[in-house]
Amino acid sequence: MKPQNKFSTGRHQEQAAAAEQTAANSGALEFQSAEELLRHDAAQTVVPPEIARRLSKSIAESAPPRRPWWRKLLD
Amino acid sequence: MNQACAEAQSSTAAESHLLPAELGALYDAHSRAIYYLALRFLGDAQKAEDATHDVFLKALRNMHQFRGEASARTWLYRIAINHCKNVRSAWHDRHVLPSSDNEFIERLPGGESPLRILETKELGDRIQRALDGLPAEYRLLLLLVSDQELSYQEAGALTGQSADAVRGKLFRARKAFAGIFAKTE
Repeated sequence: MKPQNKFSTGRHQEQAAAAEQTAANSGALEFQSAEELLRHDAAQTVVPPEIARRLSKSIAESAPPRRPWWRKLLD
Repeated sequence: MNQACAEAQSSTAAESHLLPAELGALYDAHSRAIYYLALRFLGDAQKAEDATHDVFLKALRNMHQFRGEASARTWLYRIAINHCKNVRSAWHDRHVLPSSDNEFIERLPGGESPLRILETKELGDRIQRALDGLPAEYRLLLLLVSDQELSYQEAGALTGQSADAVRGKLFRARKAFAGIFAKTE
């Protein structure tokens, strides 16, 4: 990931470019903050498809039982 | 968007058609954020799966209480935070000795620095170990503000403090995270 440094100028830019090149060569990633790293981690995270299936089942089981049509006649 | 990310999104969309329409839309838009918060806050994939299921079920049952004063994401986070705190308090706090923030910060190496890592399969484990080493409040704040849809003000509202307090604590939380993360290599 490209490092973000708004204040980089001259020598700093060269150093940043060198660091980026090193990182690219070694397969390394660089994050400027914990949040940036966590965002990367979140983007890689797969939501298990099982959750939606379980939700669907739970909703179906928790729905009130349908009233038989003949109940109306007794009320 | 990388391949894993694209596959994850299409998988979520593929399963959400099983849900009632009003929940399906919420699930499509927010399930990843809620699952990720639960995963990294609880530190256990099975518990995170259970928590995400329970959060969306509670959301469906309480949808009449959602008045649109906060964003749907914030509303779901509130349910998720309460739920995850209850889950953690049931087992985690019995096994971990809490320390005060000051004691914790004093033990850390100084200075924030870029987090340089080799891309490995163990990245998630390292992140989890670093988060587990933080006080619960710092862990939660970092997870909330890493969601770009959430402002500092919203993160503050969810954790019962001002946006300025969030900024102050985040400074220490980032430093603490970087220190612990460096030791996980």
